[in-house]
Amino acid sequence: MNRRIRVLLVEDSQADARLVVEVFKEEQINVDVDIVRDGEEAMAYLYRQRQYEDLPAPDLIILDLNMPKKDGREVLAEIKSDSALNTIPVVVLTTSQSEEDIQKCYKLHASCFVTKPLELEKFMSIIRSLDSFWFNAVRFPESI
Amino acid sequence: MDSESLEPLSNLGEERLRLIVEAAPCGMIMVDELGLVVLVNSQVERMFGYSREELLGQSIDLLVPASVRDKHPCHRAAFLADPKARAMGVGRDLYGQRKDGSQLPVEIGLNPTMTDGERFVLASIVDITERKHSELLLEEKLLELQRSNEDLQQFAYVCSHDLQEPLRVISNYTQLLARRYSDKLDQDANDFIDFTVDATRRMQELVNDLLLYSRVDTKGKEFVNTNCSQIVAMALANLKVAIEESNAEIHCDELPAVRADSSQLLQVFQNLIGNAIKFRSSEALVVSIEAQDKGNYWIFSVKDNGQGFDMKYGERIFVIFQRLHTREMYPGSGIGLAVCKKVIERHGGTVWAESAPGKGAKFSFTMPKVVEGQRTGI
Repeated sequence: MNRRIRVLLVEDSQADARLVVEVFKEEQINVDVDIVRDGEEAMAYLYRQRQYEDLPAPDLIILDLNMPKKDGREVLAEIKSDSALNTIPVVVLTTSQSEEDIQKCYKLHASCFVTKPLELEKFMSIIRSLDSFWFNAVRFPESI
Repeated sequence: MDSESLEPLSNLGEERLRLIVEAAPCGMIMVDELGLVVLVNSQVERMFGYSREELLGQSIDLLVPASVRDKHPCHRAAFLADPKARAMGVGRDLYGQRKDGSQLPVEIGLNPTMTDGERFVLASIVDITERKHSELLLEEKLLELQRSNEDLQQFAYVCSHDLQEPLRVISNYTQLLARRYSDKLDQDANDFIDFTVDATRRMQELVNDLLLYSRVDTKGKEFVNTNCSQIVAMALANLKVAIEESNAEIHCDELPAVRADSSQLLQVFQNLIGNAIKFRSSEALVVSIEAQDKGNYWIFSVKDNGQGFDMKYGERIFVIFQRLHTREMYPGSGIGLAVCKKVIERHGGTVWAESAPGKGAKFSFTMPKVVEGQRTGI
């Protein structure tokens, strides 16, 4: 794929969202990251409503679970039940370690479930893995 | 009617009977077959607020609370049909009614008696207002304690769980700061960052351990039949690297099965064996695990020939975050034995240590033997 990869990051915490961006920078991973701060905003983005009208669909979604308004589980369920969106891989990135959440997310067809680590090194290695797998190894469906 | 059980009171003489009744520490009332009061002592006067004259010749039903008064003649008739000395209203809360209409909780003993060929019933009445009050107070205190325990557990869980969030952010950003700017900062600034990173890490460890500790109760599983030999084998497998590195020789007896939360029991054995390895001496380490049958419970023990410790710390080592060594000498927050204690207590057992400096240590705990289904762990 020659065009730049576009990632939608759904994350209510500013610090966490920035951390993802900073680590992409640290690892010199060149992707476009769009950040939305809650589930409703994420759905508006994906349905290209309001200010998101002219944006292309993202190649990958990084989704937090615990968010105000519409939480990540609801967003995931909505994406996967919409045939226009359900081909977009969703990486769940959350503080949750609960088995219930893990089960639920996979049942809702999340591509993978990652718990936010405490150590920066670990976080960097997760982002490197994301890069080598999603941005280099796999093929995305052509954008709709 | 069993007339042998009726003591002939006439032998005593009326005056002597009166004296005995008067001297009794509780209220005493004698009624005839019709339920009419023939004798009362001053305790009854005091308890019910009636004078002797007001009671004599009146129906005993007068002292029964108005709400249940109409049933009392039936109870009296039933008693007279089978007159045996017994407590009245077993299993029910009994009340008497005072002259002013107020009620008092009482306990009443009934004794059938015979005098001059006539049947009487002698009732002894104890005012249990104080006792009821204390019982109620105790019950309230117990409820309060239970509530506060639950609150505390919830608090510890929420605290440690929610503390993780900001802590993770602090941790990640201080590390990012160090990574990106350490070569642009002077030594002092780098030291300060290092201290922050280190303290954050320590706090994470504490928060994690607190979460682990609070989960013993909040996330405990139901008790199932658990083969302890298998559990110890799992603990040894988990400790494989440490066992190999320390060249520890481990002896394990055939252990019984118990009703337990098996993952918690695994934690206990792993912590105890892990401690034996961690606090070994320069001597070749030998760890023995055994169980003793004590009738209705087992005593399990994990014994080592390691450093041991002064028994003045025998209690303290089971308290959360208490350590006998510096963090530099031995890592860890001091959670292991506290978790062991909490797990064992959740299973209805106790845990203790025996040791002396340089003489090794022996950690023992009891596990009750219980019939299946009797303990569920919830």
